[in-house]
Amino acid sequence: MLPTAVVQGGRSAWKGPFFVAFPNLRQALENNIPIKTQARSCTILPNFIGLRFMVHNGKDYVPVTVTQDMVGHKLGEFAITRKRFTYKATKNK
Amino acid sequence: MQLLGIRLPDNHFVKHALTQFYGIGNKTALRLCARVQIHERCRIRHLNQSQVTALTAFLSSPANSPPAAFQPLAPPNYVPPPLSQPVPAPAPREGEPVPADTLREIKIESDLRRQMRENIAHQRNIGSYVGRRHAMHLPVRGQRTQSNAKTARKLNRVERYN
Repeated sequence: MLPTAVVQGGRSAWKGPFFVAFPNLRQALENNIPIKTQARSCTILPNFIGLRFMVHNGKDYVPVTVTQDMVGHKLGEFAITRKRFTYKATKNK
Repeated sequence: MQLLGIRLPDNHFVKHALTQFYGIGNKTALRLCARVQIHERCRIRHLNQSQVTALTAFLSSPANSPPAAFQPLAPPNYVPPPLSQPVPAPAPREGEPVPADTLREIKIESDLRRQMRENIAHQRNIGSYVGRRHAMHLPVRGQRTQSNAKTARKLNRVERYN
């Protein structure tokens, strides 16, 4: 998973940010329902602030609450895709 | 010679000695010498007091430095103006954007370190992938970790000094 660099590199400014139009955006804002999405590459826009998303990480959906600071970043940056490495000694000898 | 707390060896070229500042590399040092009108082969011991003052004034706050003076190339029949009057810059042609003076936008030393720490803290606060990698002392930009992550393990921190 490559971290997105919004300021340096990334998408040209003249193209505008890449985002996905969620059909239930307004309902989710009013009723505080989480939006389930697999669109990890969707840029977080200012009108997403306060929404709760369930972002896919390949297997499950991870809850992400959008704040003011997250606006230029993508949804996938907040849903880690790999399990943390832990070493457990096996019981087989 | 001491300049803003950094010791610059007297025998070094000025364009090299200025790279001792955190945030100034070879390119910025050359531009700085050009702005303050110090020639390329000048060594630190050859600088006179006004040049040292100009360098100190620039480096202590690059944003508040005077803009670059307009110095046109002289045509064959050029008559220089009297010294009291500076040469007026030509009016910018319409439709052409005025290029930004990037040398006044550089950050040095403590300002730069503060900006880096703020950027990393921002990534950590929002809980992004980049922030997590800094916290785990691992490479941030997608490098391999099965081998060769020594620099990241040494330097990547949330409270990063360098």
